[in-house]
Amino acid sequence: MTAVEQSSRTPAREGSRFHVGPAALAIPAALWMVVFFAAPLLLFFVYSFLTARLYAVSGPLTLEAYRDALTTHINATLALNSLVVGISVAATTVVVALPIAYWLRFAAGRWETVVLFLITATFFASYLVRIYAWRSILGDNGLLNSGLKSLGILDQPLGFVLYNRFAVTVALVHIFLPYVVLVLYAGFRPISPALVEASQDLGANAVTRWRKVILPLVAAPAATSFVLVFVLAAADYVTPQFLGGTDGAMLGVRIQTALTGAGNWPLGAALSFLMLATFVACYALTLLLLRSLRLDRVRFVS
Amino acid sequence: MAYESLFRPTDRREFLRRGAALLTIGATPALLAACGGSSNSGSAAAPKASGNIDYLSWEGYDIPPVMKAWKAANSVTVKPTYIGNHDEIQAKIKAGGGSYDLITYYQGYKPLYTELDILTKLDTDKIPNIEGLFSVFKEADARNLWIDEDGNWTGVPWTWGSIGITWDDAKLPGGLTAWDDLLDPKLKGKVGVINDPLGAFTLTAHILGKDPAALPKAEYSEIKDYLTKMVGQAKSVAPSFGDMTNQLVAGDIVACYQGWAYMNSLAAGAGNKTVKTVTPKEGAFSFCDLYAIPSTSDNVETVHGWINEAIDPVINARAAEYLVGAVTVEKSAEMLNADTKALYPYDDLDLGDSTGDRLKKLFEVAPFYGMPPSESDEFITFTEMSENWEEIKQGA
Repeated sequence: MTAVEQSSRTPAREGSRFHVGPAALAIPAALWMVVFFAAPLLLFFVYSFLTARLYAVSGPLTLEAYRDALTTHINATLALNSLVVGISVAATTVVVALPIAYWLRFAAGRWETVVLFLITATFFASYLVRIYAWRSILGDNGLLNSGLKSLGILDQPLGFVLYNRFAVTVALVHIFLPYVVLVLYAGFRPISPALVEASQDLGANAVTRWRKVILPLVAAPAATSFVLVFVLAAADYVTPQFLGGTDGAMLGVRIQTALTGAGNWPLGAALSFLMLATFVACYALTLLLLRSLRLDRVRFVS
Repeated sequence: MAYESLFRPTDRREFLRRGAALLTIGATPALLAACGGSSNSGSAAAPKASGNIDYLSWEGYDIPPVMKAWKAANSVTVKPTYIGNHDEIQAKIKAGGGSYDLITYYQGYKPLYTELDILTKLDTDKIPNIEGLFSVFKEADARNLWIDEDGNWTGVPWTWGSIGITWDDAKLPGGLTAWDDLLDPKLKGKVGVINDPLGAFTLTAHILGKDPAALPKAEYSEIKDYLTKMVGQAKSVAPSFGDMTNQLVAGDIVACYQGWAYMNSLAAGAGNKTVKTVTPKEGAFSFCDLYAIPSTSDNVETVHGWINEAIDPVINARAAEYLVGAVTVEKSAEMLNADTKALYPYDDLDLGDSTGDRLKKLFEVAPFYGMPPSESDEFITFTEMSENWEEIKQGA
């Protein structure tokens, strides 16, 4: 029995003290979400079916905004950019973060706290500072090109490392990596070292241990991290503007333009909900995949 | 105008440096008075000000250190809401929920803001300092962008600037004299372009000899082709002027389509003193920013006082130094420090009657334009212009 269960049952048995159950405790947060999230979201959803006027909406209800969103060529191009960047960033981040989190949990020893602190400390640097740091590294006269030129390896700077999807991917992986390391570290925490040792004693080599023991146990947090990073990266519209070059724009920029620059609220709303639907579909697919592999209900027994 | 870069984080260090320097000035109203400034507005006609002003515009356009003394003397507080681009002003006001008292608008937005019923008629009796503006800013032929045909003012010009080619003279000695020079294949990947659809559209229309406010739809392809070629010369589209300056200083680009003299100052602050700006032979366009009172205001009297103070000669000069911009008040030109004065051709002017004439000539080469209409079967609309910009960027 958990501590929470104990505290919620004892007063009920006594019958003389005010009983506040877990559901009641959630009411303030639920109200907050309804008033400040669900209701505006619903209103925004209605907007997507209204007729566009300049910085205004009116009747009648129409699917015009969705038709525009789905049939305009530029939207497809930007959506593809978002998809490619989102998947690249999410996959790279999870693959890089997994061994770091594993090392922290099972091998870091006395360095564990120090490294965790350093990872957390990266949050102190602002988003824009990190973007600009990458520009100063990857630019024509940046650290990378200057270093390679001073070593005599290059005559001309590598022009392809900045102002394209590669630069966006590198920067976003750097930005999201600490979050994913922490999520995966939390995913590794319940795994007893004895499990890993037992598999080793039973003759599993490193590859087998990862494939049959470790990865199944952290599949759920890894998949969650993947979806989280995918959503954040695909929806980002700041980094592509600074590092993405002329062809690096993503769908978020288009939504911003529709809502503010063009004053076409129904189109902005329709694009937003189409993007949201895509994200929900990705999340559902991930859950289905975990379920089909029977990895969605891993329980640790202490 | 989408000169949003001014106070983005990248520029903040410079912004704060200037701000700190001007805090001294803001804190010494006696000094202002000694210099001939009103600071409070000693004019009998100036309205009585007090209370709170809900400000909605660019960070910096509320000129905090410059207006500090006036605010203190009149017990006025300013609650700012800063924008990331000009379109946020109409978006926030039309979305409702705010009682904004003071906004600024780039003159091209006048037709749109009139249509959206955002602007109110100003009581010029409560803004006596209007008399001190350069004559060119007081004439109703300024394309009806702040003075209506019936003589009513909907905004008061307090700062302006002109667009030009900005380049790094150390990397491109002698610079360029024509916009078409930027299309030279040798400059492929070295041209800076900013993510400002209206500015890009207006400049290109001017270069091609067309009126951006009344461009026939059939002629839009010429604008699109020219812009596509220009964007094709760039590796990236900078999100702000500050960012484009950073690219220039870093050596990623050597010249800019739609540059601005303000970039010279930003670059100098970053240690590069070889960045220059020139108005090319085809000319360019000018922008004028205006203080205005939106229909949501509930403190009209105080905002009139603010506007009057902002175009006091000393205050206007200090604001121009603070923003590295131009003055709209004739006497202010004499009060500018050397760096700010050098940004625009004040030294070529004969202050007095000829001053207005000279500015007129400048604005003939680099005029003030309106923006495309919001709805039209004949002309390119604002929405079409905005939405085509993404295609131009992708198609380059």
